[in-house]
Amino acid sequence: MHNSHGGPASTDAVIEVEGLAKSYRVFDKPEGLRASLKALVHRPSRVVEALKGVSLTVGRGEFVALLGPNGAGKTTFLKLLSGIITPSRGTARVLGHVPWERADDFRRRFALVMGQRNQLWWDLPAAESFRLHREIYRIEPARFERTRDELVDLLGVRKLVLQPVRDLSLGERMKLELVAALLHEPEVLFLDEPTIGLDVVAQHALHRFLAHVQAERKMTIVLTTHYMKDVAALCRRAIVITGGSILYDGSLDQIVDRFTTHKIVTLDLDEAPDREEFARLGFPCEIRGPQVTLRIDRQRIADVLPEILRGRQVRDVSVEDVPLEEIVAELFRSGGTAAPREPAGAGA
Amino acid sequence: MGRYLSIFLTFTRACLVRDMTFRTNFVIECLTSLGWMSMNLAFYLLVFQFTPEIGKGTGWTREPFFAFVATGLIINSIVQALFMPSAEELTEMVRTGGLDAVLVQPLDAQFLLSMHRVDFSSFANGLVGAGLLGWAVMRMDHAPPAAAWLLYPLLILCGVAILYSLVIMLAAATILLGRNQSLYDFWFYITNFSRYPAEIYAGPWGGLLRALCTFVIPILLVVNVPARVITQPLEGRGWALVGLAVGAALLALVVSRLVFQAALVKYRSASS
Repeated sequence: MHNSHGGPASTDAVIEVEGLAKSYRVFDKPEGLRASLKALVHRPSRVVEALKGVSLTVGRGEFVALLGPNGAGKTTFLKLLSGIITPSRGTARVLGHVPWERADDFRRRFALVMGQRNQLWWDLPAAESFRLHREIYRIEPARFERTRDELVDLLGVRKLVLQPVRDLSLGERMKLELVAALLHEPEVLFLDEPTIGLDVVAQHALHRFLAHVQAERKMTIVLTTHYMKDVAALCRRAIVITGGSILYDGSLDQIVDRFTTHKIVTLDLDEAPDREEFARLGFPCEIRGPQVTLRIDRQRIADVLPEILRGRQVRDVSVEDVPLEEIVAELFRSGGTAAPREPAGAGA
Repeated sequence: MGRYLSIFLTFTRACLVRDMTFRTNFVIECLTSLGWMSMNLAFYLLVFQFTPEIGKGTGWTREPFFAFVATGLIINSIVQALFMPSAEELTEMVRTGGLDAVLVQPLDAQFLLSMHRVDFSSFANGLVGAGLLGWAVMRMDHAPPAAAWLLYPLLILCGVAILYSLVIMLAAATILLGRNQSLYDFWFYITNFSRYPAEIYAGPWGGLLRALCTFVIPILLVVNVPARVITQPLEGRGWALVGLAVGAALLALVVSRLVFQAALVKYRSASS
């Protein structure tokens, strides 16, 4: 089975979404006392379309990133898939269930972790939340202990499970949130910005952990994040949402191919170069001390690079794609109209 | 059912562990609650220095009236201990999106939302209420018959069910409105009516209020019916009130359940 936007093939669809839309009526709060009094009788309101008819399919075992600027509709999409809210129109099936019917059979088979929300008992050690989780999900004691031990060891948090959650750091808490979410061995995991606010070390630990459990358990994971490092480390497929619509659905590599037409060439020279000499080449160029960075049309790299290197004392040279962050940020800004992009000076 | 009981016991255990973590807070809560109750009892003792009966011919002399107060204490302590802490937290959960975590768990949302916190300090009032009931009944002119003792716990449960249903409907309003602090104030105002014998609502306006609080929001049945059963002879009108209390409790549970389910469908969740 193929997803509707050319993503990787999957044999077993776990998430099937067709024309899913969600709109909200929001009330505007007018400024000033007179307007506030007037609003007691009539409150101005408008309809906000958080999601505008999204269609896609996610296969079993896929690790999909959902990217988009704030307010793009990512979290709304996850809330619809996990049955927290009901859609305005459209259909969705997750593991064969309509999510917003909230069947216990369905809710036993997935988990949702939200980076900005705490789901563990705040004043108690995580061990107490785990115990409650065992009861709610009816996990056999032996299986519960085995899974819990495996997860806490993988994340290196064995010493923390008996400490009150309120005393833990954000990173430690997020690790324990993940343990709690995975105790019942869900088939589908929804992660809403799990690394938000975490330092680089904690982010890296979560990446390793998620990659490991996903590979081990063939879990289907949908991740929303603003950090491209999360995406690059974990996902092969990315879905870009802006303004409630899907702008791109495909592999990460294809994002680079589709939305950029140039590469970044960095030269480390023996001495600071002549600015005018590089400016004459006609490519966007940035010079910092002996280091020169050029944006060159990817089709012309092979022809242009020998010419640039000729006659220069070069200590090091690198040719890289435009960073994913930059491409996605440009996509967010342009709402997709920027693709495909022509680098300035490409025709030089 | 067994699973729900087991989960409830797990909640209870966790709340007890938490309360024991903040022992001083627990003791202060117990003392505050007992202090407030003692002031109320002292006030009623003061009233009975000036009158032998609340309303002429109503039967609410000192000991039966204290049995009435004790019944109210028992019912309110159960509601305050088992349901109110969770309900009070709900406003915050709806406002911050904490309700999301509840809705994804394979468990009845109403159960989880209404019973996940237990306030043990509120049981202190119930224990004093039980003691006060024993004291009052022993000093009454007549001993309650065996049927009254059998009906009493059932009617206590009916009273708890009616108050619980009210809490659930206010919780549903919270979910629909997004924030609902004033409606919880409304809960305290309306439950105030249940704290006094129905007979005090006399005259045209009193009668209207009494009918409203018996048949529309059956708050007057909560304490009055069990208290009447234990303090006054069971006659035709008494049996009719028992039937009314049981019927009202069942209807309130069903209606509140439907309202709550409808509210969950409309839940918007908070922005993250």
